[in-house]
Amino acid sequence: MKAYVYMLPTIISLAGALLCLVRRVFFEEVVSIIASVSSVFAAFTLLFLPNHFGTFLYVDGFSKIMLLLVSVVYASTVIFSTTYMKYIENPLFEKRFYYLLMNLFAFSMMFTVSVNNFGLMWVGIEATTVTSALLVATENDESSIEATWRYIIVVSVGLIISLLSNIFIYSVSGTLNFGTMLNHGFHVDRILIIGAMMAIIGYGTKAGIFPMHTWLPDVHGRAPAPVSAIFSGILLAVALYVVARVLEIVNVPMVREFAFWLGLLTVLVAAMLMVVQKHYKRLFAYSTMENMGMVLIGLSIGKYAFVGAVVLVISHAFAKSSVFYLSGNILSRYKSKKISDVKAVSKRMPFTGYNLMFSALAVTGTPPFGTFVGELLIIYGVLKYFPTFYAFLIVSFLFLAFVSVNYKVGTMVFSESDDVKVKERKRVGTIVPMVNTILAFLVIFFIPQIQELLSKGMIR
Amino acid sequence: MSQVFALVGFFEIVLVLFMQWEIYTRKIITTFSVASYVVAAFLLYLGVSKDLPYVVALSIITAVVRGFFIPWYMKRCIVRDQWREREIKPVISTAMSIIISLLIVVFAYILYRVTFFNTLHLREGSIPMALLLQGAFLIISRRNAFIQLIGYMTMENALFLFEGYLFPGLPFIIEAGVVLDLIGVIAIAGVVVRMMKDSSSDVNDFDELKG
Amino acid sequence: MLVFLSIVQLLYVLLLSPLIFGILAKIEERIESKNGPSIFQPYYDLYKLLRKEIVVPNHSSPIFHVAPYVSFALYSSLTLVLPIITDFPLQFGPIVDFIGGGLIFGAAAAIKKLASLDSRSNYSHLGLSRAASLGALSEPITVLIFIMFGVMAKSNNPYVINNVLQTSSWWYLSLTHWFVAAAFFMVLIVELGRLPIERHSTAELGMIDQGMSMEYSGADLAFEKWGGYVKKFLLMSVFLNIYTIPFFVPVKVNLGSILVYGGIHFLKLLGLIVGVAFFEESISKFRLFKNFDYIAFAFSLAFMSFLAFYVTVGRV
Repeated sequence: MKAYVYMLPTIISLAGALLCLVRRVFFEEVVSIIASVSSVFAAFTLLFLPNHFGTFLYVDGFSKIMLLLVSVVYASTVIFSTTYMKYIENPLFEKRFYYLLMNLFAFSMMFTVSVNNFGLMWVGIEATTVTSALLVATENDESSIEATWRYIIVVSVGLIISLLSNIFIYSVSGTLNFGTMLNHGFHVDRILIIGAMMAIIGYGTKAGIFPMHTWLPDVHGRAPAPVSAIFSGILLAVALYVVARVLEIVNVPMVREFAFWLGLLTVLVAAMLMVVQKHYKRLFAYSTMENMGMVLIGLSIGKYAFVGAVVLVISHAFAKSSVFYLSGNILSRYKSKKISDVKAVSKRMPFTGYNLMFSALAVTGTPPFGTFVGELLIIYGVLKYFPTFYAFLIVSFLFLAFVSVNYKVGTMVFSESDDVKVKERKRVGTIVPMVNTILAFLVIFFIPQIQELLSKGMIR
Repeated sequence: MSQVFALVGFFEIVLVLFMQWEIYTRKIITTFSVASYVVAAFLLYLGVSKDLPYVVALSIITAVVRGFFIPWYMKRCIVRDQWREREIKPVISTAMSIIISLLIVVFAYILYRVTFFNTLHLREGSIPMALLLQGAFLIISRRNAFIQLIGYMTMENALFLFEGYLFPGLPFIIEAGVVLDLIGVIAIAGVVVRMMKDSSSDVNDFDELKG
Repeated sequence: MLVFLSIVQLLYVLLLSPLIFGILAKIEERIESKNGPSIFQPYYDLYKLLRKEIVVPNHSSPIFHVAPYVSFALYSSLTLVLPIITDFPLQFGPIVDFIGGGLIFGAAAAIKKLASLDSRSNYSHLGLSRAASLGALSEPITVLIFIMFGVMAKSNNPYVINNVLQTSSWWYLSLTHWFVAAAFFMVLIVELGRLPIERHSTAELGMIDQGMSMEYSGADLAFEKWGGYVKKFLLMSVFLNIYTIPFFVPVKVNLGSILVYGGIHFLKLLGLIVGVAFFEESISKFRLFKNFDYIAFAFSLAFMSFLAFYVTVGRV
């Protein structure tokens, strides 16, 4: 099979980005929708093709899943953006630059998950920072600019750390090529271990892992809803994809334990901070952090927990993007980000309200959704390889997160208010999140296929 | 070569300490520009003497972007009277931050000694690590966006020193350098300028970005 | 011979030290396009003060009256043990090494401080508390510098250190040495009481050292001032002879070369004070609390010499 087929989703998004430069009314929206939807189809067909290990590309089952996930969330975000952009009163730049950056952002993420080289992966992750920095500042008020600034500075420092880790890995192995490293293997020494730990911290910065997570709630709180959705849905997952690749190469118990501890700390910190949140977008941001901590734990344990992590990533991406779309809808109606200002959503915006309740249940790992299965597999792994106490700790903090998110969302959705006029039409802005929530549920039916993709690389 | 490296490295460390001491933004920018030129000169010398063309390329990038362009652009962005453009209340008091920066250098030396020295056998290797950590501390210890950006780019300089001297031959380092600089430029052009326009407000006033 | 040379060195320091500061004042005035006092003005001042009546505060104890003479004697005794115009130990040379010299300096400073406490004047107390807090922070720097010299020369004898730096160009050009020299220069500025730390003009609320001698008069003040000149002269000589330009100092007992070097040393000092004058004219005074940032920077320079030693030379 020719290599360019595997590049197809990536190339399509790049082409979409370039076409956005054309100055015509509504042209950029149409082009972006076409590009994103066709990249979904391209990524979907890849599932049925064999793996590809070239000098430039490394596409195995994991990459294919990530490609499909990125393209689906990308498509839904572009579609949702078409309705949401009109609520932004004083944007930082013209609309077509918003779509240009959005397409480039998706391009850099797809690029990251399909290349066969740590150097290029690093460049791809760095490119996501370049393209997404200005997207965060779209709303163009003082605090969103400040949030952007924090994002740039913290994430850049993290990326310098990960570049350093690349240098260390290179100094030991003599190559940065992922396939070569995997096949040949090399002597594990102290520098390599430190390099891998730095990679976990560095890329973990981008994924909101504990010591350098501070940018995450600010950005998610201030970015426009579609950007928050694409951030917490896939950007963090793509960063963790690189961490997974590093763990695959440096398969040392010490490094894995280090990753486990960071993941555990992330879950604890996020769950505790969730209790005191007063703004709903920041609340959901901390929920994202907690889920990413769970994913990192899963990646560090491996085996079934790895499958659990992938399932969790997929269903969380759908559910969390849905949550952020809905929070955008609520923001555009209530004009406030405070939980206490938002009352009786189920009366005023019934579709949004009930959908928000369901998707909030989904992101906290409630049974019918895929997140539950993912977390269950991860906790099973923790039980197997660590003392029972840790599993108990994780479960109790997950429960804390569950209570605080659903209690707060419940007060938003089911409270009483004087003004209960229903003012909601069935339009793109309510349908897209609904589709995503349903996808988060449907994931559980495809767990055998995910398992097959991860072990064999394709679906026969 | 190792003596030249030690000279350049210690000069850089002293310049970072000097930046910690200074409160006027414009002076810090000038200091950073000098530091970048010194790094560029060293990389040029390294590249020419060891015949490594990509190190020469790194040196040119360093001189043009971080030595000339970014400091020049930053100085243009300072709209207020230059004596007013300063850090009035740093997060950590100046004397304390100088001492902490010094302790960071010691820490980097010890860290290097117990980890990399066994395999690299280069005594001077701790200098770039110290610079990296010092740059990070410069970001933490100040609130002014310009100075934070300078801390970031100090880290970048240190990274190139590290790579050029200790691990020559790393692929993608030029691409990495370009992308890192791109972030710096975007940060200035897109964000910092806008922050400066309404810099009347203290950065700490953002009630929403807490917790 | 050594006794004779000791006397020569003592006279050299005692007689020339006021002149140096007269010249410094003159240069600074010239840079500011003013005519300035004669370069012999410090001598005139001392002469005038020696003839004046001595007034002592009512409540003070004898310490107040004795202190200028004791400190003057201590500084004079230091003159006999430091390499000023010779690079071989004079008659009293073996008494103390660098650390001992530092202790004598400290003793003189402590006596001055006691006396200014004793004067019961608010201005003296103000200057005293400032001088004490600055001194408490700058002393560790000096100690660090001595330790570093001990590492370099394997001895704390100033003559040996001078010899090592004179003969070994490797040590002379090493980073370790130059960090030490830079740190000592910053401490020197503090000790000389020049800008950016302190300004010597009237009605200066930021005064540090001048405040301490506020209550003195007559011969007491003359010796207090003269002692101050000698102290600063010694520090500058040490800075030149040991830290920066250890060359030309005669190693052999030879009267002719020592006399010639006496002239050269004066030229070195002139060069240093021209440098200090230009430095002082180009900067403004720090606010009082920013002095501590200055000292922190000096401390980090001194400490960097340790790191430079470990990084470039390695463990010994």
